[in-house]
Amino acid sequence: MVKIYTSFCIALFLSVFGSQFLFAYGISIARMNEKYLVLQQDTTLKSKKDPSTFSVKTDTIGQMVRALQKFKTIRDTVNIHSASRVPNLSLQQIIKGNLAGVYVQEPNGEPGTEQSIIVQGASGLLFNKKDIYALQPAVYLNGVPLVADNPFAFDIQKYDYNRIGPATNLLSQIDINNIQSITVIKDPFELAKLGPNAANGAIYITTKNARGGIRDISLNTYFGYVTAPQVNTVNGVYENNFRNQFYKKFNPTGSPASYLRDSTNVAYFGPSNWTDLYYQNTPTFSADLGITGGTERANFRFFGSGTKNAGNADDTGLNRYNLFFGINMAPFKWLTVSSTVNTARLDRTRNKSLRDRFAETRYIPDLSSPLSPNASSYAAYLTENDRNVDNNRSTVLNGNLSLTAKVNKFVITTSGLFNYNEGIRDYFIPSTLLAGISYISNYFGYSQRVSINNTVSYKYDINKNHVVHFELGQSLQGDTYKYNYARAYNGPNDYVKLSFVDGNPTKDGADNPDYLNVLAKNQFYVFRYIDKERNNLMSFYGSAKYSYKTLLTLSALLRRDGVSNGQPDSRWVTTPAFNANFNLKEQFLNGNKAINALHLSASWGRTLRVFQDDRFAAGPQYRSENGWEEEPTIPGYGGLLGINRPYNSGFIGYNISLPFADRTSVALDASFLNNRLNTAITVYNRNDKNSVIGLPVPVETGYSTEYKSGMDINNKGIELLVNGSVIQKNNGLNWNTGLNLSYNQNKLSALPTGINELIYQNDNKLEVGKSVGSYWLYTNEGIYNSDAEVPTGRTFNGIPLKAGDPKWVDYNNDNKIDSKDKVLTGDRLPKFVGGWNNTLIYKNFDLNFNFIFAAGQKAINQYEATRYGFVNREAGNDINSVKEVSSWQSFDNEKNYPIYNPWSPVDPYRTDQDLFLESASYVKLRSVTLGYDFSKTSLFKKSGGKIRRAYVYATALNVFTLTDFSGVDPELINYNGIYDGANITIPRTFVLGFKLDL
Amino acid sequence: MNYSNNKISIYRSVILALIFIVVGVNNFSCKKIENVQSIRLATEETNWKTLEDARANLLSVYGLMRSATVSDNTHWLMGDLRQGDFQITNRADLKSIVTGQLNAQYPVINRITNWRRFYAVVNAASLFIERSKQIIPLDSRYTQINNNVDIAQARILRAFAYFYLVRIWGDVPLLISSHDGDFIKLPRTSKEKVLQFATAELLTAAQVIPFKYGGDDPILPGLYYGAGWASWNGNIFTRLSAYIILAHIAAWQGNYLDAATYSKFVLDNYTKSNGSGSNGIVYLDMDALTENVNYYSPFAFKRATVLVGFPFEAGNGLSTANGHIEQLTLASPFIPKAQPEMFVPKDSILKIFTDPYDLRFSVNPANGLYRTNYFYNFTSEQPIFNKIKVIYTAQTSGNLTLFSSTMLFSRIEEITLLRAEACAVLGQRDEAVSALNKAANLRGTTPFDINSSTDLIDAIFQERRRELMGEGWRWYDIVRYNRIKNASGIFIRKNGTPLTFKQFENAGGVYWPVSQDVINANPSIVQNPYWQ
Repeated sequence: MVKIYTSFCIALFLSVFGSQFLFAYGISIARMNEKYLVLQQDTTLKSKKDPSTFSVKTDTIGQMVRALQKFKTIRDTVNIHSASRVPNLSLQQIIKGNLAGVYVQEPNGEPGTEQSIIVQGASGLLFNKKDIYALQPAVYLNGVPLVADNPFAFDIQKYDYNRIGPATNLLSQIDINNIQSITVIKDPFELAKLGPNAANGAIYITTKNARGGIRDISLNTYFGYVTAPQVNTVNGVYENNFRNQFYKKFNPTGSPASYLRDSTNVAYFGPSNWTDLYYQNTPTFSADLGITGGTERANFRFFGSGTKNAGNADDTGLNRYNLFFGINMAPFKWLTVSSTVNTARLDRTRNKSLRDRFAETRYIPDLSSPLSPNASSYAAYLTENDRNVDNNRSTVLNGNLSLTAKVNKFVITTSGLFNYNEGIRDYFIPSTLLAGISYISNYFGYSQRVSINNTVSYKYDINKNHVVHFELGQSLQGDTYKYNYARAYNGPNDYVKLSFVDGNPTKDGADNPDYLNVLAKNQFYVFRYIDKERNNLMSFYGSAKYSYKTLLTLSALLRRDGVSNGQPDSRWVTTPAFNANFNLKEQFLNGNKAINALHLSASWGRTLRVFQDDRFAAGPQYRSENGWEEEPTIPGYGGLLGINRPYNSGFIGYNISLPFADRTSVALDASFLNNRLNTAITVYNRNDKNSVIGLPVPVETGYSTEYKSGMDINNKGIELLVNGSVIQKNNGLNWNTGLNLSYNQNKLSALPTGINELIYQNDNKLEVGKSVGSYWLYTNEGIYNSDAEVPTGRTFNGIPLKAGDPKWVDYNNDNKIDSKDKVLTGDRLPKFVGGWNNTLIYKNFDLNFNFIFAAGQKAINQYEATRYGFVNREAGNDINSVKEVSSWQSFDNEKNYPIYNPWSPVDPYRTDQDLFLESASYVKLRSVTLGYDFSKTSLFKKSGGKIRRAYVYATALNVFTLTDFSGVDPELINYNGIYDGANITIPRTFVLGFKLDL
Repeated sequence: MNYSNNKISIYRSVILALIFIVVGVNNFSCKKIENVQSIRLATEETNWKTLEDARANLLSVYGLMRSATVSDNTHWLMGDLRQGDFQITNRADLKSIVTGQLNAQYPVINRITNWRRFYAVVNAASLFIERSKQIIPLDSRYTQINNNVDIAQARILRAFAYFYLVRIWGDVPLLISSHDGDFIKLPRTSKEKVLQFATAELLTAAQVIPFKYGGDDPILPGLYYGAGWASWNGNIFTRLSAYIILAHIAAWQGNYLDAATYSKFVLDNYTKSNGSGSNGIVYLDMDALTENVNYYSPFAFKRATVLVGFPFEAGNGLSTANGHIEQLTLASPFIPKAQPEMFVPKDSILKIFTDPYDLRFSVNPANGLYRTNYFYNFTSEQPIFNKIKVIYTAQTSGNLTLFSSTMLFSRIEEITLLRAEACAVLGQRDEAVSALNKAANLRGTTPFDINSSTDLIDAIFQERRRELMGEGWRWYDIVRYNRIKNASGIFIRKNGTPLTFKQFENAGGVYWPVSQDVINANPSIVQNPYWQ
């Protein structure tokens, strides 16, 4: 490979110097004149004649850009015009329901929490948080593939609700008012061009960028409120009434939980008014300023914004400060230098929920007295919370520097991209909140990506009709991920909010025994974690595109990628991609007036996928895995580090090769009726092949899983886009509508070693032919009301079933209900997703409303399961026993479940049965905006036209939801399909905004 | 050549040259791409090279065995609950164990019935036995003697893991090599064969292993891995440990002749582990047993008094919430917790502790005052079993509910009582009584009178019940006792059917069911018939 690279560099040198040296003597005089000319020429005039001369190349997505231009605003791009009036914080919120084939999950209404994007179905498993990280598409910001948090931190975590550190959604960094376009890239050929980063698809964001011309100033601001929801609160009486039906039926002599015994206790039986303190109408606001200016030869853009985004509960919020600077220069006519830098700081105020706190502290105190629903008791608790320290700061910095040179018919581009994200969290809890001990944790982590890309392209005109474009490219990318994390318990008092060590080497003239000792007495008891991981990616590619008039284009690409996270014998992989584009309109329908455009395009491409973890490259290995499920991070034995085979996490052998994705896509797009109606229909088929999965192995070998290559997942789907001007009248009513609808079918198509099914980590099953998002559940058919109803000898995993136990279906008729009677049913991911966006314009008014929907996904209602199964929950004293203050409420559409015996050893309210499985399909009116443009009024026209736009609008966000789901909101479901009711609701927000362009 | 081709200026050349130089210099070669060494793990290429590798790999076998025995509090859930002295406050999963519903559907029960954790020890030990000798030619600091001793420890750990497996599950698959990377499916091997293998391994290892490490033991003189006996005692297995495990295997098999021999070896030789900076092995007084008093407390510190066990010293950053009996038994005022998860009810206490002078627990009939070494708040509904209370840095009470108590399998009193049991079964009454009285000597109780008409076996097991309460012995003691007594009374009712102990044992009831997860992964494993 070294040789290839060297010869490639030499070829590049020759392409510039070789030909020049051949005629260097002959042109030396002319060159002087030329230099003079270059410096003297009037660029403004010249460029107007030939706009391509100085156009700044901001991305390489040729096909995409063409498609964008063709469809103006639709075809897989977000309607920025309407999106910029909605007070969204994150990229995920902006694109939710607005990009075909993209499913966004917003499982928590708390501002700045992590959200997931899945493009055209899941390429992997969905069972734990690490899996979800692995499904995320690449997000490019001005061509910089943004580096995401690495999930390796979950290795040291007991619970994966939140990643350690600030756990802020880093895709909240971009302000919509600085965005030019957001496009989802699904085309196999374009993805192949982007390479292994984009194996899950890509979202390509282009910011508004520097450009020449008249100085352009834009100012945007909004102010509004997130509103508190209406909640039916309950207290101990309600809970006791609920529980009495169980006691009456099955345990008449049993006594209720200790906190529910004393009905004179105001804390639990007094007024339930916790909502006054928990939910608040909270202001949210934002202001930004963008300035663009300069000449055609040197221009710039500056953008700065400040946003305060708020949640409606628990005093949560996020402050964002975003700065952007872009510059383009053309020192010579043939050379452009452009650079952008984007930086943001995200300060997050996190929730005070018990679950998140105990998950962070990994320390669960006695839970027998839950939080009181009474405001005065709850206020005392909040007062203690005020002594917390919870600083969450993420700083992101990314940008690029690119040079483009045009030499003859060659275009040579070299760009350096950098991306650095830093997260800091300082967390302190006073002893009053953690049963007498204080807790502190400190996190510092960063993710860094540096890459250098070089491309050279050459256009060869065979003749007027036949043109071939060649492109050669090379790129090198280096990622580094690191964190330092320490958690510490039991400080000397609640005023010491720092964990430190004794820095004096000597004490009283002798060696200090506590010198740098983190376990010294009377200080915090400290556990420290340090981890770092690096990986490199090197790529070469060559592509050729042949065009025949405007009728037909054929493209082919071949790339070779080398990945340091691959095993040594399979690190370098060659992948091809092809594309054909056929203009049907020109070929067959040239005279047709009804059809304005009709294109058919087909692509096939293969993209390599890179492992997120460097474990797979190592083969058989030794790690420090001495703990167990409850205590996962025991470092060693007797004060010394121990290393052993990864018995807990799974064996990794040789012969693990890199996974890849094969995509096929056929798209037909058409414009009708003077381009008033644009439609596109895309059919895709993606095979994610050779993925690594942990196969169960006989546990007598010490392991429970062995990782092997060979899992294939197939996603098929259809996407439909319709965009039309339904009503088009000058000075009258105009109605533009855009609909996107996509259908996805996910199927596991192969497992390693040819097996047909496997039980994955005990709780889930995978079966070839079924969706990877399927649940594996017992089928519930009611209740045995008496022992006589139970078929003789029927057992549940060896336990005889009795009256009050659930009636589970015995599929294999062996009279034993066991895991063989569990069936795959339901799906964690929706079959249909989409959105419908409408804009009505009448004179200076415009009204926009945006519906989004997702259908076909199901959820397990664990919230109800623990409510009914209160006996086990309260006895357990584990993370699932936690009762949040927000659980003191009842819901209108709550379902009623059978009254089983909650004391039964079969655990009748277990979540692995279809009793708690329910549809989570929804339709939401996501936003409504009403705006008025003053700049068209006579008042502003008189002012001399300096003001290009003065626009006032009002937006309501998350207006209403139509759903059958019995919980609060069908979106508030955790990544694994579990609804636990612990997440903060997605608030209804109202803002008033103002946009001014000068 | 047309005019446009001549536009190349010197600047352009220079800048393009600069571009390529930047590209050329900043790009690393492909070789460099590949050479990203992970700093998070050791590979086959980097492990088994140095003395430190040997130490890290060996200690991990100990660490794995410690985790296997204590994870989810297994040692106590399996040892102290079944027909034991403890009652459960709330937890339904623990109640199921007490009532013998061992196949109940609870996550904790599912996890503790998965035997993988013990096979991780077996595999790690086998790997160590197979691979550690590679280090000898590579690192001159790692001597043959050092390696022999290390391998002997790995053998003991592997045998100990098998003993645990057999005690819990009866017949278990026997793997005697690592089968590295080869995932074989073996059926269960008969428990006799497994224990035969374990015994043979222990006897081999016992010939090699010293009485102490890093001290003046003639078998292994000088520092061990750079540290002296004071830092190793209680942490790693000695020759005494090997013989104690041998004695227990023999007793479990009913082979009391060997049990007597092996336990005699321990009692005759235990002082050989003393000295070299260690406080040594002594019979524990009450302060050392229940009040964490330094030097000898086997629970609070890594001390020579830990004959077979695995410490969790706070000073090594090893305090944990789970994996200690304190998590189950302590409550206010020892730790901030309203109720203990399990407790010994008042009636049982009075029935078990009958001697009015017993320092562990007794009530002064004159004034009604009682001793609190074992039980606090005796008069309440839920007396707190506070015999073992090692909170954070060996405190006896505190707010930080991270515990540091050692997982203690055997201490000198325990092996002395086993010796008494063996001798009693063998009819060596004098020996047995003397051992019994030796073990209980510091407990304030009236010594057992050799002429007493009380059943000696009963007396020995009663003393074990008192002395070893909360140390994970009760169920295994009940099994050995009933085997010795072979009583014809009803031992248990299964779904209403009365069973004698013999019928119960023959049906496989002594043993736990194996988790369905184990059977799913290896269908050649058959569920224990009692639990089918």
